[in-house]
Amino acid sequence: MIVEDFPLFSEWIMPGLLLFGGIALAAALLGIFFGFITASFRHGPFEAFYIVAQVIAEAIPDFLYTSPRRVVAMARLAIKEALRRRVILVTFGIFAATLLFGGWFMDAGSESPHEIYLNFVLWGTQLLILLTGLLISAFSLPEDIKNKTIYTIVTKPVRATEIVLGRILGFGALCSALLALMAVISFFFIWRNLSHDHLVAGDNQTIAAFTEVDPDNRISRITGKRVSDAAVLVAQTNNVSGHTHRLEVVKLIVGEDKSVLDLPDVWKTETEGDNTVLYRVVCFPVGGHTHRITVSGSGNDAIVTIGQAIGQFRARVPLYAKNLTMLDKEGQVTEKGISVGREWNYRGYIDGGSASMGVATLAKAIFDFEDLRASKFDKDSDVVPLDLTLGVFRTFKGDVQKRVTGGIQFESVPDNAEVENRFISDINSFETNEFQVQTRAIPRKMIGRMVAPDGSLVREGEFDLFDDIAKNGKLRLNLTCRDINQYIGVATADVYFRQADNVYWINFFKAYVGIWCQLMIIICMGVALSTFLSTPLVMLGTLVMMVVGFFTPFIRELTIPDRDGGGPIESLIRVITQKNMQVDLETGVLDTVIEKSDQFITQRMSDLTYLAPNFSNLDFSQFLTHGYAIDTQRMLVAIGITLAFFVGLTLLGYFSLKTREIAK
Amino acid sequence: MSTDTSTAEKKPSRLEQSNPDYDPNIVVETQNLTKIYRDFWGRQKVRALNALDLEIRKGEIFGLLGPNGSGKSTTIKLLLGLLFPTSGRAMVFGENASEVTKNERIGYLPEESYLYKFLTAEETLDFYGRLFNMPAKIRKERVAMLIDQVGLGHAKRRQLKEYSKGMTRRIGLAQALINDPELILLDEPTSGLDPLGTREMKDMIIKLQEQGKTIVMCSHLLADVQDVCDRIAVLFQGDLKELGRVDSLLKVSEETEIRAKNLPPAAQEEIRKLIEKHGGETVSIENPKSTLEDLFLNIVRESEERPGHRASGAIDSKPSNEAN
Repeated sequence: MIVEDFPLFSEWIMPGLLLFGGIALAAALLGIFFGFITASFRHGPFEAFYIVAQVIAEAIPDFLYTSPRRVVAMARLAIKEALRRRVILVTFGIFAATLLFGGWFMDAGSESPHEIYLNFVLWGTQLLILLTGLLISAFSLPEDIKNKTIYTIVTKPVRATEIVLGRILGFGALCSALLALMAVISFFFIWRNLSHDHLVAGDNQTIAAFTEVDPDNRISRITGKRVSDAAVLVAQTNNVSGHTHRLEVVKLIVGEDKSVLDLPDVWKTETEGDNTVLYRVVCFPVGGHTHRITVSGSGNDAIVTIGQAIGQFRARVPLYAKNLTMLDKEGQVTEKGISVGREWNYRGYIDGGSASMGVATLAKAIFDFEDLRASKFDKDSDVVPLDLTLGVFRTFKGDVQKRVTGGIQFESVPDNAEVENRFISDINSFETNEFQVQTRAIPRKMIGRMVAPDGSLVREGEFDLFDDIAKNGKLRLNLTCRDINQYIGVATADVYFRQADNVYWINFFKAYVGIWCQLMIIICMGVALSTFLSTPLVMLGTLVMMVVGFFTPFIRELTIPDRDGGGPIESLIRVITQKNMQVDLETGVLDTVIEKSDQFITQRMSDLTYLAPNFSNLDFSQFLTHGYAIDTQRMLVAIGITLAFFVGLTLLGYFSLKTREIAK
Repeated sequence: MSTDTSTAEKKPSRLEQSNPDYDPNIVVETQNLTKIYRDFWGRQKVRALNALDLEIRKGEIFGLLGPNGSGKSTTIKLLLGLLFPTSGRAMVFGENASEVTKNERIGYLPEESYLYKFLTAEETLDFYGRLFNMPAKIRKERVAMLIDQVGLGHAKRRQLKEYSKGMTRRIGLAQALINDPELILLDEPTSGLDPLGTREMKDMIIKLQEQGKTIVMCSHLLADVQDVCDRIAVLFQGDLKELGRVDSLLKVSEETEIRAKNLPPAAQEEIRKLIEKHGGETVSIENPKSTLEDLFLNIVRESEERPGHRASGAIDSKPSNEAN
């Protein structure tokens, strides 16, 4: 999952307000200008000035004296209208039918069924609810004007603000209720479809159903696949939801921690020499989940119970680094690391090598963490989970069975480096799990050395992560690539400490807040445009804005100046004349005209993306589908964006309704 | 139909409060009011109203008369702020017609009852009551009273899409009266009504006037206007052609009408001679005819009183406008 850098709400609000103020000011000036020009044609410039001034002056009492009771009355009417026209019922019917039959086409036994199901319900809900919002908001006011029912409204003491706000809030409330209902149903749909348990395949549910592993080839006689090194017995679960799990009894030597003996999946213990040996029944994960195993009884008659699936409903809470710095081979700071092609856009790459291999490199990625506190992690655990999703770029194939090796080293970051000692841990090597999430348990007790500001050794030994190393909440993680001529790619979001998980169902409904924000913007847009456009034009305009909103990053990419192949006109000419993107067009007047025209068009396209909502900022579905907790800061920013569109579009709707003649 | 007799004290407008020169007896005033309809490019399509000067005084029933396209409905729409004047001014209660607050004292019945067909009668009136910020208790009472007043008690929970045109007209009138307005604007009030409904509507208009309300109505049905209006303005192709009291405009000064009851033929002959003696010319001496409307109403009334019997339709010798 690609996670873009994202500001805190407190960091976003001021620039956001400035941008909003700038756009609002520009829109206001444009509105006044066009209003004055239009009125001048009809009434002459003096009268036009008076008319424009009057409209602005009347806006203040209109907003100040907006009556909540009238707004609620208009909202109730909007709700009744939508309900009695059965739009909502039809939407809900389509949604129910989709869920009812959609399950037939989804593969619960796939690699990640959770993602498939979530993508299905989130995408389906988003599409249906946004279209519903668009339909009811686009039809309502133009229908009122066409049927002249608006006459009986505007001849009552109803202000234009109340008409616009009433529609937005009415349709918003109704669609929000429908969205909430869809979310609850979707939650139970996913829960019901993915919750499952298994039985041990075979005639009985005991250890007797397991078969012995041949220590010479370590191949399961049941599946014909390789088993783990510690396995002594192997079995399989029955097929439920399109998949089976491999069950193994693994033999482990118990260390100092004797608490593992009390685990429910322990079958038996034995003593071998000075060691205690433990036999545990392990269920291997499939499709991102495993099952809790409970063994009761003893000997071959011990009953193995496979519980509910665990691990598929997760809401991981990452603690990302505040800063990521990349150093090149010479130890110089580089902006983005090494480019390996298109990937460079997201990940920066560091090249490999180590002194032990004879190729010294100072290249590394430095992650500076802040606010790393023990209270954010499981207090009973003696390890802190560190999740890594590392990209790998190989310049030679090498041993395909062997993964590229990385190294992790921790450093303390003293507040005053001139007087305080600094901790440096030993480098821990690890095999990367290329492009897949891998969790490494970082022990709270680290082996390393404490050095004085002058570099002299103070003490070597074991230090506590929170009490000694990161007691000011700051920690530096140095990531290196240990293999010569191989590269590891990272972005800020690729390395994080994993805090205690959030509650899944809360995270699930948080994802719908993003859809709700999109819905409200569509409704605001539909209502605002319907104050001066007919229904087909409202639908077309709102759909264009939706498309621009969903593809904002793509459109902005297209509008980058000096892009290969030029702008739309130049591209068209290249298509017709079959010239590739690298060949220059013939220089001359025509070329200059094309270039300038393209510049103008691309600039307007770029402007349009700032007027349309950037829906990618309001889409939290990928966090949910990938099992990450949705950050409250993101939600606050999304709600802030929605509020900005609500205010802007309400103003647009008000002024266009106020300045238009209702009757024909 | 029975009419509402409550006349609550109304809040004076801002102009009434601030401008001592404002005459509260003038409810509607237009000065040089002109409306030109234009096309998309701003070119003149039609001059719907041309320099209209009007004053409508408090408590009168004022009729706007004219053929289709004469500018009646345009005038009403300009007074309501549904249209903006091309030039000139339209003032209602001393305020500009585009001012929203004036609507608190206005009731409007459009030409067609443009109401939400998916609402029931009760919901319709409740909704419009909410738009006047009426407290729930008063709103409920007012809705019940108006539904009873327009005779829709039996159909108050039916959606308006199931209503006949006459019933829709009645609920339209009820919504126009929901705020107990001082000024009522009626656009073709008898349009779509049967003779009984027409008569009830006209009675209602007169009773509203008796309550002190000012009524402005436009119609092309001359009999309706003649029956109820105190003053009329005749419009033709956007121009004001005639303005004045109905009785004086219709008065035929050179003729005299004498009406008598149970007069024998000899006495009629004597009167004819007396007229000739004074140099007058007898135009006609005959029994007066009633209107078809009176005949129809009598038949309906008789049928209601004596169900199962054939109605005679015999008309009282009183003139129709005195019979009620």
